[in-house]
Amino acid sequence: MAEETSGIKVKVREFGSGVKEVSLKNRVSVGELVKSLGYIIEEYVVAVSGTIVTEDYLINDGDEVVLYPVVSGG
Amino acid sequence: MANCSICSKQAIYVIKSGGLALCKKHFLEYFDRKVRRTIRKNKLFRKNEHIVIAVSGGKDSLSLLHYTVNLSKRARMGWRITALTIDEGISGYRDYTIKRVEELSSSLGVELKIASFKDYFGYTLDEVVKISGERGLPYLPCTYCGVFRRYLLNRVAREISGTVLATAHHLDDVVQTYLINIFNNNWSNIHKLTPSLTSIHKLFVRRVKPFYEVLEKETTLYAILNGLYPSERTECPYAPLSFRWQVRRVLNYLEESRPGLKYSTMKSLMEATSLKNVASSEAMTCIVCGEPSSHEVCKACQLRAELGLLELREVKT
Repeated sequence: MAEETSGIKVKVREFGSGVKEVSLKNRVSVGELVKSLGYIIEEYVVAVSGTIVTEDYLINDGDEVVLYPVVSGG
Repeated sequence: MANCSICSKQAIYVIKSGGLALCKKHFLEYFDRKVRRTIRKNKLFRKNEHIVIAVSGGKDSLSLLHYTVNLSKRARMGWRITALTIDEGISGYRDYTIKRVEELSSSLGVELKIASFKDYFGYTLDEVVKISGERGLPYLPCTYCGVFRRYLLNRVAREISGTVLATAHHLDDVVQTYLINIFNNNWSNIHKLTPSLTSIHKLFVRRVKPFYEVLEKETTLYAILNGLYPSERTECPYAPLSFRWQVRRVLNYLEESRPGLKYSTMKSLMEATSLKNVASSEAMTCIVCGEPSSHEVCKACQLRAELGLLELREVKT
């Protein structure tokens, strides 16, 4: 669920890959963030600032989001 | 932000199909209950069993090794546990994952046996894939890898006197395999998709899947919470080429829009495996290598022959 703010920035790191900064118009949930990146939430466990969260967790400005891929090949 | 349905602490996991949110403590209890139920209901492990655990070094198999060793301490059933790793010979991939298995086995005080394609077949998977390409054979790398790996797991588990071979196949794996076999109209393979595959041949080591009812997302969470999630992302370079890769993606898309779909597909599988008229292949003995087989010549020998890696004179008499 989006919440009106003046815009926020978060750091997103897919585990094992580099960090990218994502600018968002509004606060969004973890599920919405993952979807906006083109991913399927089923395929990730998400941690925000070191704590595992559920997909309805609302992202804050400056949060560090880590995506742990569920799907692995091997 | 969801709170735990049991204690109201911050939740880390939501069972969407059941409308239940769980904190770390209650997620781990839920996970343990689920796996123990599978083990108990299907009599996966007996007293004084020598459990050989197939460990690739990925999050699922590391979790199974960690879970079983801890369960062994609680259950006090006299189990002996050995980790078995197959080194297929995939450059830039398997070296990293073997290191993880060595570290975890050592920290858990578990014996580790490593068996390689090179030692048993004379060629690494990379070499096999190269030869296959040169010969214009129609197989994907995962075909060779899967067939040779299953062959070696059984053979080596038996050689080290294992009484049961446990693999980390979870519900996602099982459901994907079910669908792939439906697409291929291969009902004899569907018949084998049970939590325990009992001895169909005197040389076949009973094969069990303790994570049969656990979702891949749940094994991932278990791995993260127990510090088992690999610190470096290493993916098999051949995996995205497989049909399974596509099936998995489609299933995850569907699960997102229809939570519980994987569970209902699993129920469908359970119905299918209980049907008496579902064909099951008879256990035979491969006339080339003497190992258990569904055909006169096992799949591993058939592939090796097509690759030109096996002389027909090797046929056992």
